[in-house]
Amino acid sequence: MAGDGESRRWLAAQAAAQRGWLRLAVLSGLLASLLTIAQLGLLAWILSQLLVEGSALDSLGGAFLAVAGCLALRALAQWGQEMAGQEASERVRRRVRTELLDHLAALGPVRAGAHHPGGVASQLVEQVDALDGYVARFLPHCYLALAGPLTILAVVAWLDWLAAAFLLLAAPLIPLFMALVGAGAERVNREQFAAVTRLSSHFLDRVRGMTTLQLFGRTADATREVYTAADHYRRLSLRPLRLAFLSSAVLEFFASVAIAVVAIYVGFGLLGYIDYGPSPELTLFSGLLVLLLAPEFFQPLRSLAQHYHDRAAAIGAAQGMLALLAEPARPRHQRQGPAPRGDARVELVGVALNHPGRGRVLGPLDIRVAPGETLVITGPSGAGKSSLLQLLAGFVAPDSGVRRALPGLRLAWLDQRPWLVQGSLAENLRLTAPSASDAQLVVALERVGLGEMLAGLPEGLATPLGERGVGLSGGQAQRLAVARLFLSDADLVLLDEPTASLDEASEAKVVAALQALAVDGPSLVIATHHPALMRLATRHRVIEAGHFVAAPAGEASDA
Amino acid sequence: MRDPLGVQALRPWLRLLGEHRRRLWGGAGLLALTLGAAIGLLALAGWFITASALTGLAMAAGLAASLDVHLPGGGIRAFAITRTVARYLERLYNHDTVLRLLADLRGRLFAVLSRLDARTLAQQRASDWLTRLIADIDTLDGLYLRLLAPPLVALGLIGLLAAFVALWVPAAGGLLGAGLLLAWLWLTAGQARLGLAASRGRVAQRQRLRSLAVEHLQGLAELEAHGVTGRHRQRLAACEARLQADQRRLARYTALGTSLVGLGVGLAMLATLWLAAAAWQRGEIAGAVMVMLPLAVLALGEALALLPGAFTQLGATRAAAERLNGLAEAGKGAATGGTEPLPGGAPSLTLGGVCLHYPGALQPALEAVSLSLGAGERLAVTGASGAGKSSLAALLSRQLAPDAGTIHFNEVALPAIDEGALRTQVALLGQRVDLFQGSLAENLRIADPGADDASLGRALDWVGLGEWGESLPHGMATPVGEGGRALSGGQARRLALARLWLRDPGLVLLDEPFADLDTATVERLVPRLDTWLAGRTVVYLLHRLDDGPASPPGVTHRAHLVAGQLTHFAPGCTIGQDEG
Repeated sequence: MAGDGESRRWLAAQAAAQRGWLRLAVLSGLLASLLTIAQLGLLAWILSQLLVEGSALDSLGGAFLAVAGCLALRALAQWGQEMAGQEASERVRRRVRTELLDHLAALGPVRAGAHHPGGVASQLVEQVDALDGYVARFLPHCYLALAGPLTILAVVAWLDWLAAAFLLLAAPLIPLFMALVGAGAERVNREQFAAVTRLSSHFLDRVRGMTTLQLFGRTADATREVYTAADHYRRLSLRPLRLAFLSSAVLEFFASVAIAVVAIYVGFGLLGYIDYGPSPELTLFSGLLVLLLAPEFFQPLRSLAQHYHDRAAAIGAAQGMLALLAEPARPRHQRQGPAPRGDARVELVGVALNHPGRGRVLGPLDIRVAPGETLVITGPSGAGKSSLLQLLAGFVAPDSGVRRALPGLRLAWLDQRPWLVQGSLAENLRLTAPSASDAQLVVALERVGLGEMLAGLPEGLATPLGERGVGLSGGQAQRLAVARLFLSDADLVLLDEPTASLDEASEAKVVAALQALAVDGPSLVIATHHPALMRLATRHRVIEAGHFVAAPAGEASDA
Repeated sequence: MRDPLGVQALRPWLRLLGEHRRRLWGGAGLLALTLGAAIGLLALAGWFITASALTGLAMAAGLAASLDVHLPGGGIRAFAITRTVARYLERLYNHDTVLRLLADLRGRLFAVLSRLDARTLAQQRASDWLTRLIADIDTLDGLYLRLLAPPLVALGLIGLLAAFVALWVPAAGGLLGAGLLLAWLWLTAGQARLGLAASRGRVAQRQRLRSLAVEHLQGLAELEAHGVTGRHRQRLAACEARLQADQRRLARYTALGTSLVGLGVGLAMLATLWLAAAAWQRGEIAGAVMVMLPLAVLALGEALALLPGAFTQLGATRAAAERLNGLAEAGKGAATGGTEPLPGGAPSLTLGGVCLHYPGALQPALEAVSLSLGAGERLAVTGASGAGKSSLAALLSRQLAPDAGTIHFNEVALPAIDEGALRTQVALLGQRVDLFQGSLAENLRIADPGADDASLGRALDWVGLGEWGESLPHGMATPVGEGGRALSGGQARRLALARLWLRDPGLVLLDEPFADLDTATVERLVPRLDTWLAGRTVVYLLHRLDDGPASPPGVTHRAHLVAGQLTHFAPGCTIGQDEG
C-alpha cells in the first residue's frame, strides 16, 4: 500500500494536468462571490435609500432590477463553477483509467491475471469514480475557502475597519480551523469507513455462506448476529464521533458569533454608544452590509467541510491504484524479442523463471517450436507446464535467458477456462477474429461439433450468451473457444490443459477438433495429462520440477 | 402514470424507517431548530441594526427616542447559541439514528436473503451480485438523512416563514408561501424527474463497465495472444464515454438545481422586500420590520441547498430499492416447508419423474429422474461436471424445488416436511466449503451450537485434523475464513466433514466428499466414515467411481447421469469396504 503522502502527490499531479479547467472553476466561484457581495451591497443600499434618504419605492426600480441581474449572473457563475469542475474530473478519470489499463496490459496476462478480476474491475470503475468529488468539488473549494474570505475581509475593512478586525481575529484561526475541520471530518470518515467496511465484510461473509447456514438451519441465529454486529458498531462509534462532530459545531459557532458580534457592535455604534475608532461613521448602509457579509465570510469554509470526505475517499482510492501501478511491468523488449534461429516459430534459450516466495519454478531450459509440429508437454501438476506455455507466449518475462519469436508471429491461446463475454454467439466468436464473416463463423462451429446446437437455436448466431456464458455447458463453452482458434489464422496455438474440466464425450469432441486444426498448418503446443490429447503429438516432452526429463521410450525427443 | 417517480418502490423501506418514528421526528426537529435559529439570527440582527440606526438618527435629530437593547441583544445571543448547540446535537442524534436504521436494514435484508433458494444464491458466484447488493444497501442507508428529513424540514420552514411574513404583510406572506412552495416542488420532485433517466442510466452503465472490465481482465491472455487488446479497449472506452455522458447530465442537472436555489431564494427575498417596502411606505409596518422580513427569506437558502443534489439522484435510490424488493419477492417464492415431522433414523427415498430447468439454460439440468432407495442404503450417482449431480443434491436438500415430479422421504412429500425437522435430518456436504470469519471453534459450532470443546476436539480427531488443531498456537480460537488463517482445500473439506460428524442426520448427501484430499488421507477416512454412515441413508455424488481403497464405502446402488438424464440405475455390489 502506498503511503498517504505519495497518494496526495499523485492526486495533485493528476489534478495539475487539468489546471485549465480547475482554474476556470475557481474563477467562476470567485465571480459568484463577487456577485454575492455586489448583490448584498445593492440590497443594503436600497434599504438605506428607503429608510434614511426617504426615496420613493418606485424610484428604486432600477436597483431592484440590478439585484435581480446580479442574482441571475451569480446563478450562471455557480453553474459554470460546477461544470468546469466536472469537466476536469471527467478528464482526470479518463486519464487514470487509461493509465491503469495500459499498466495491466504491460504487466501481461500472468501478472495482471494474478489479481482478482472483481477487485481490479472495482478499481477501474468505482475507485476511479471516487476521484470525482475530490477533483470536481474539493479542489476548487480549497482555493475558494482562501480567496472568498479574503475578498470579503477587504470589503468589510473598507466599510469599517473595526468590524473587519473582528473578522480578522478569526482569520488567523482559519488555517487552524481548516486543520481542525479537516482532522475532524477525516476522523469521522475514517471511523465510518472502517466500521462500515467491517460491517459489510461481516454481512458479505454470512451471505456468501448462506447455503451452509440454510443447510444447518442457522439462518435465524445469523440474522440476529447481523443485527447485533451493526448495533454493536453503533455503540462503539458514538464515542469518537462525539468529539469529531465538534468540528461542525465549531464552524456553526463562528458563523453565529460573527453575526451576533457584528450585529451588537453595529447596533450599539449606530446608537452612538461606541465612540471608539470608526464607529461614529457607521451608517445603516455600512452596518447592514457588514452584517450581511459576516455569514458569507465563513460560508466557503463550511462548503469545504462538506466536501472533505471526497478527499479521504480519493486518497483511499489512490492508495489502491498506486499499489497496482507500482508493480513492475514486463520489459518491452521481452515482448517483442529478437528473431529465432532457423525455421523455428518461437524459441526459448536458457530461460529460467522465479516466483516470489517459491524460488525457481522453471529452467534453465531450451526449447524450439518448429512449423507445423504438435508438441505435447506432460508432467505432474506444478512441474512448470503452464509457466512454460506462458513463457512461449511472452505473457511473462523470464528472469534469465531470452525468448525469440518470429517477427509478426500470430499467436492463439486457450486454457481450461474458456473466455466468454456477455453478448451474442457471433460476438463471442468475433472477439479474436473481428472481420470473420457469418459463413466463416458457421463453418468454425461445425468443425468443433457445435453445428447441431447452432441449428437448434432459433436466433442462430445472434443468440445471446449470459454472463460467463450461462446457457452453455462446460464442454460447449470450451468448444466455442476452440472454434475461435479455427477463425484465427495463427502460426502458433498454445493450449494449456484445454480439456481439464470436461467429461469424456466433450473431451473427445475437443480432441477431434484440435486434430482437424493441426492439419491446417499451425504449430500446436499442448500442456496436458490426458492420454487422448497426448496421442495428437508429433513430439512429446516431459517436464518435472521445472526441467525436461527423458521422454517415455519409443518417442522422439527434442534435439 | 400515477407514480412517475416510482416512489412506490421505496415504500417498504419507508415503512422500516417508520418503526423509529419518534427518533426520526426528533432528528428532523433538531435540524429544523438549527436552520430556524439561523434564520432567526439574521432576521433579528437586521431588525436590531435598522432599529438602532433609526433611533440613532432620531436622537441625532434631537427627537426623544430610545431603544430597549436588552431584549434584542438577548435574542441574538440566544439564537446564536441555539444554532451552535442544536447543530451539534443534530449531528450526533441523527448519526445515531442512521446507525440504528442501518442495523435494522441489514437485519431485515439478511432475513430476506436467508429465504432465497439455491438458484438465486448461485447467481452470486456468476456475477458481482454481492458488490451490487452492498452498494444498494449503502444507497438506502442515506434514505433518511438525504431524502426524508431535509425536504420535510425545508417544507416546514417554508410554511413557518410564510406565516411569519404574513403576520406583518399578509399579501407578501401569501405570495412568498406560494413561490417557495413551487421552488420546493421543483427542487424535490422536479429535480428527481429531471435526473431519473440519467441516474438510473448511470447505475446501469457503471454495471456494464464493470462487467466489461471483468471480461477484459479474464481475457487478457486471449486478447494479447490474438493482438486484439486495442479493439476490446475501444469497447471499454465506448462504455466509459456513455457512463460519463450520464454523469455529465447528472452534474448539469444538479448544478442547475443548486444555481436555482440561489436564484429562487434571491428573487423571493427581492419580492418580499418590494412588498414590505410598499407596506412600510403605507405606514403599515415599522422600518426595522421591513428590513427583517427579506433578511429572514435570505437565510432560508441554507435549508434548501442540499435538496437538488439528493433528489437528482433519486433514480439510483429507487433502482436500489427495486432490486432489493425483487430479492424479497424472490424469497417469498422459495419453499419454506410444511408441518409434517420427519422422524429420526434413516429415511427411504423416492424420486418420481423429477425435472429441473434453470431459466436461460439451453438444456434442462435434470430430466425425468426417477429412482427409489430403501432406508439405510447407499447410492452412488456418477456423472461428468454439468451432468446434474449438484442439482440433484440441491433438490434432495430442498434448496430448490423441482419444476415437475415428486420427491418423497419415507412416503412424505418433501415440500410438506417441517423445515426444522428437515434440516436436522438431512445433511449435505456440498462441493463448496463455506468458512466464516471467526474462530475454528465458531466454524465448527455452525453445525452444533451447543457442542463443548471436547466434542469439537473429537470431531477434528475424527477427520484427522486433531494434531493439526493442537499444533495451532491459538488452538480452537485460531481465526479462519477470510482474513484469518488460510486453510488448504483439503483442510477445509475435512473441516466440513467434521461439521457433518457433529450432527446426527438420517439422510446424508455427499457431493465429491474426497475432493482435494490425498489418497492416504482418504484411505484413513473411509473406514471411519463407513462406521459413522451405518444406519443412515446415503447419496454419494461423484465424478467417477473406481473400486479402489479410496472410493466411498458401502455403495449398494449405482446410478449414472448424462446431461440430466439417469441412464442407469441398479443395485450394485458392495465395494470399497476393506474393513467390513
